[in-house]
Amino acid sequence: MALVSGPGRAGGTSSDQELHILKHVTYIKNLDTRKEELEYWLTEHLRLNGVYWGLTALHLLGHPDALPREETIDFVLSCQKENGGFGAAPGHDAHMLYTVSAVQILVTIDAVDELEKRGRGGKQRVGSFIASMQNNEDGSFMGDQWGETDTRFLYGALNALSLLGLLDMVDLPKAVSYVQSCENFDGAYGVTPGAESHSGQVFTCVGALAIAGRLDLVNRDRLGAWLSERQIDKGGFNGRPEKLPDACYAWWVGSSLAMIDRLHWIDGKKLASFVLQCQDPEAGGFADRPGNMVDVYHTHFGIAGLSLLGVEGLQEVDPIYCMPKAVIARCFAR
Amino acid sequence: MASHGVRRFKPVEKTPEERQQELQKIYEYRSLERLVSEEMAEQEYTAETLKNISDLLSRNPEYYTVWNYRRQALRHQFSDAEGSSEEVSTNQIAELIKDDLVFLIPLLRSFPKCYWIWNYRVWLLNEARHLLPLAVSRQFWQEELKLVGKMLTLDSRNFHGWGYRRLVVETLKQLGTPAEAASMTQKEFEYAKNMIGANLSNFSAWHYRTKLILELLEEQSASDDERRGMLDDELALIHRALIDPYDQSLWFYHQNLMCVFDPAAAGRTMAPSLSASERLQYLRNEIEAIQEMLDGAEDCKYIYQALIECTLLVSKVAGQLSTEDRNQILSWLSELQQLDPLRKQRWLDFERTLPNV
Repeated sequence: MALVSGPGRAGGTSSDQELHILKHVTYIKNLDTRKEELEYWLTEHLRLNGVYWGLTALHLLGHPDALPREETIDFVLSCQKENGGFGAAPGHDAHMLYTVSAVQILVTIDAVDELEKRGRGGKQRVGSFIASMQNNEDGSFMGDQWGETDTRFLYGALNALSLLGLLDMVDLPKAVSYVQSCENFDGAYGVTPGAESHSGQVFTCVGALAIAGRLDLVNRDRLGAWLSERQIDKGGFNGRPEKLPDACYAWWVGSSLAMIDRLHWIDGKKLASFVLQCQDPEAGGFADRPGNMVDVYHTHFGIAGLSLLGVEGLQEVDPIYCMPKAVIARCFAR
Repeated sequence: MASHGVRRFKPVEKTPEERQQELQKIYEYRSLERLVSEEMAEQEYTAETLKNISDLLSRNPEYYTVWNYRRQALRHQFSDAEGSSEEVSTNQIAELIKDDLVFLIPLLRSFPKCYWIWNYRVWLLNEARHLLPLAVSRQFWQEELKLVGKMLTLDSRNFHGWGYRRLVVETLKQLGTPAEAASMTQKEFEYAKNMIGANLSNFSAWHYRTKLILELLEEQSASDDERRGMLDDELALIHRALIDPYDQSLWFYHQNLMCVFDPAAAGRTMAPSLSASERLQYLRNEIEAIQEMLDGAEDCKYIYQALIECTLLVSKVAGQLSTEDRNQILSWLSELQQLDPLRKQRWLDFERTLPNV
């Protein structure tokens, strides 16, 4: 799955409000055929994220089989390291970001068993890597052994461990109190205690609390107010006060609002219209803003945002996991 | 990949020459990549390897695994240096760290939002902290404050920049005496003030200010009177700034200040010990001041939001909502519903859940 941006551009206009499902499917399927572009190689450090973005988008678009299942499993497993974690691509070091993507992909295509079957030490070994990233003092999580701490990694850890049924491997109450320590007076959350509120971090903090079953700790009205103020006149969301809108915030802000039952506090129609203007109606894919280059990251989060809004033709997305609702239901039915 | 803010261009078919050039570039890049991973597999932590790593990272600073290679190679060189006498070892390690910090500057300049470069830099400075005498490592950390100041001048909202600044200041405080730590907080307070002065919409700077005020008062073991003095200054400041009431950043700072009067939040604010009657007095003054802002800005939704918020706080402090206040709220709410159609449902929910008298 290439992470190369372009070649298309978001040419959608306000009059073109159709979701070009087949164009997006083709766009994603063709991403891996772009090996003659330098950028394909320069973005290898995102490959496994890219597979998760592309695969999830295809599921939401109603084309779950558009990527070959066996090849996907082979690729995911080829990224696993000795310590149980996953790197972005074969030869890349293990990191939380890719380990979470690996788990999400395997769950989506119902292939977690392969970790056992193919002698990878099963899901337990993946769980050990994730659990080893927790700081026992304050409950936070690092991304890898080099120590960067960020609420993104805490969310990722809880996301993957809960999907694997291994949440008991970590200290959940401590993780929860760490998230609380990142809350600001505006009801929103930052990357670490003391950091400015940011929509991406709101998603990770609220998502982590949702997985931990502690949404009671969220000041819903206060946070809902802050999140709803992210919508600007043109309909799109920005990530922080006085910043430009971006299609991917349709997901970060929208899913956070959905988790606290406040998605109706914004104008969904106008938001959907903004996101649809970010698509390339000819070659497929979404960009951050109308007129800019498309890429698979914005394609995935744009589509996930539209799914939250109930746009016709899309499968329902789960606001906590950013995976198809049907997949989450199947996973937790076990 | 995530191409933020890249304007569209018309994709044109590449000429055969251009395609050839692109393939050549790929070949060079992948050869270098292969060479570096071979050197790492062979544990050749030499100056030559470090040079190749630098070359690779300059071509692709997002390649996190190669940053990890760099850490390994450098750690090897540190332990080599540690074999020498203390003075020589200190000089050698300090030299290695200095060179590496210099190497990162142009990369940070070109890729100010790349997480991996910032992470690596923090790692390097923490190595300095662990391996070098206090005076030397402190020097390194002090230089960082200048660097991050420059970065924030170039992009005053850079998320990484602000986070990095907090980290540097926190570390410098740990490396200094309590008195030095206190003077740092004061200097940072001035810094945030200047940043706000340069651009009132800079919410990152306002946010920093809220945190610094709490630290300042804490470090000075401020009395209730001094805390109240600070509160009065802040209220005066935000009222002056709100001469432009259409700026959302200012209202978020205002909302933050109002937490002082919220019995549920006051304990975590700059003036935790106000009495109920003092809180009510402040809130009534506030409502009056904000109402004056409406003059000529009747279409500014933030004003109505703030009026409603303050009035609700009055009811929270007083323990009940008076009929008069409730009617006021409803009239401001009807303005809001006109002015803020995007959040129509939010205001409907609000109306539904507004407590009865």
